[in-house]
Amino acid sequence: MKGTDFVKLIDTTRCTACRGCQVACKQWNEMPGLRTRNRGSYQNPPDLEWNTWTLVRFQEHENGDGVLQWLFRKDGCMHCTDAGCVKVCPSGALFYTEFGTVGIDRTKCIGCKECLFACPFEVPKYDRATDKVFKCDLCYTRLREGLLPACVKSCPTGALTFGAVDTMLKTAYARVEDLKQDGHPDANVYGDKFVGGTHVLYVLGEKPEIYDSLPQKPAVPLTVIAWKDFLKPLSLLAAGGVILGSFLHYIIHGPKSPDENGDRDAT
Amino acid sequence: MKKGMIKATDAFERIVHWSLAISCIVLMISGLGMMFHSLNFLAVPVGGLKNLKLIHNFTGLFFIASLFFAVLMWWREAGVFEFPEDAEWIKVAGGYLWHVDSVPEVGKYNPGQKMFFLAVAIFGAAMAVSGLMMWFPLSFGAGLVRFMYFLHALGFVVIFAFFFVHLYLGTIGSPGSLPAMTSGWVTRAWLMKQHPKWLKETEHKGRLVVYGKEPAPREGQGHHA
Repeated sequence: MKGTDFVKLIDTTRCTACRGCQVACKQWNEMPGLRTRNRGSYQNPPDLEWNTWTLVRFQEHENGDGVLQWLFRKDGCMHCTDAGCVKVCPSGALFYTEFGTVGIDRTKCIGCKECLFACPFEVPKYDRATDKVFKCDLCYTRLREGLLPACVKSCPTGALTFGAVDTMLKTAYARVEDLKQDGHPDANVYGDKFVGGTHVLYVLGEKPEIYDSLPQKPAVPLTVIAWKDFLKPLSLLAAGGVILGSFLHYIIHGPKSPDENGDRDAT
Repeated sequence: MKKGMIKATDAFERIVHWSLAISCIVLMISGLGMMFHSLNFLAVPVGGLKNLKLIHNFTGLFFIASLFFAVLMWWREAGVFEFPEDAEWIKVAGGYLWHVDSVPEVGKYNPGQKMFFLAVAIFGAAMAVSGLMMWFPLSFGAGLVRFMYFLHALGFVVIFAFFFVHLYLGTIGSPGSLPAMTSGWVTRAWLMKQHPKWLKETEHKGRLVVYGKEPAPREGQGHHA
């Protein structure tokens, strides 16, 4: 690991769903806003898209006591430590940055779409027109200049903060303790317990299963692990074994040659 | 051409064989270039990985067509085991691995060749199906596509390993075999060693094509497709 790992903390309990982060993300990354349809929700577009790398999800949730809550969750790349997308990317377009985040070099992307199926959070999105995959890179260009990610910079309520991993974990757990004493018994930290720990952490006011499109136990798919960690090395081992075996066969047993007198006409 | 050479394959068989072989080799090389970052350089001569992907995909179509003809042509002779003689042959590993006094007489294909054919047919078909779905993954369910990536990798493990077995036994491991797939003419001695049953049966039926002899009444011991 090079340098310090950095983490973006998303405190959903402080989010007012102003969507400033969504706009700032588009501005910094020069992504177009495409026309969408009114579906009767402020959540717009309905899901992450190739041109929308972060999205505030709006969710009406009625808790057990009949109290209606409006939950907001800023969705986007979680920047896994053990990232399925990086594991499958054939070209190295997806890569780990020196900040521990997952960057994407679109000049290298070949549009194979393998990352779409390896990501446990369904984050990478494919654009047919450019034949490329898009996702949040946690403003790699800004981080390298010592600037905050655009979403964090734009956040007016302190729901988004950014810093070194240890500091942010402490902040997150301290906030959860406060929330628990403040009438949110289910408050929890989401992100540090799977895929090697994510570089985006949530402070959730409710249990993870309450939230839309938030996997409870995200993991790199088993098929991806079998493919990349088992079959891939096995392919070389098996072929190498065959080549070595053939060589040994040739020098020990010898080739299977026709008999000396086999050429006589049998008729 | 030496007098007394025997025709073992017809032109169609050899064309199908080499179509399959060349497309398979191109697929393996281009596939390796995408599978290992350390082999990404294999894409340099074609101008990048994106082009390598396109070559891989379209060669795949050529491979599927070749495989179709190969299976159609060979399944009857190379895809069906015959008992008990094939079991006997397998018990002594065809005399390839240790000294065996008498190996059961082999017809047109020995059980090892049959296994190779079946591996190519079954895993080739798996590569075709999984490859096509990987080409258009957004048209299918995520679970299915994930399984197809796995299947494609599994098929590669099998075919890549079998490729080298085939390469060895088609060349230096079994001298005299290669001409069956180049000119199609082989020696009687090689047939006596490798496919004596086929030699005797074909000769008995009067269908053996021998170079420099009067043509047999009916030609062609090749495909029955």
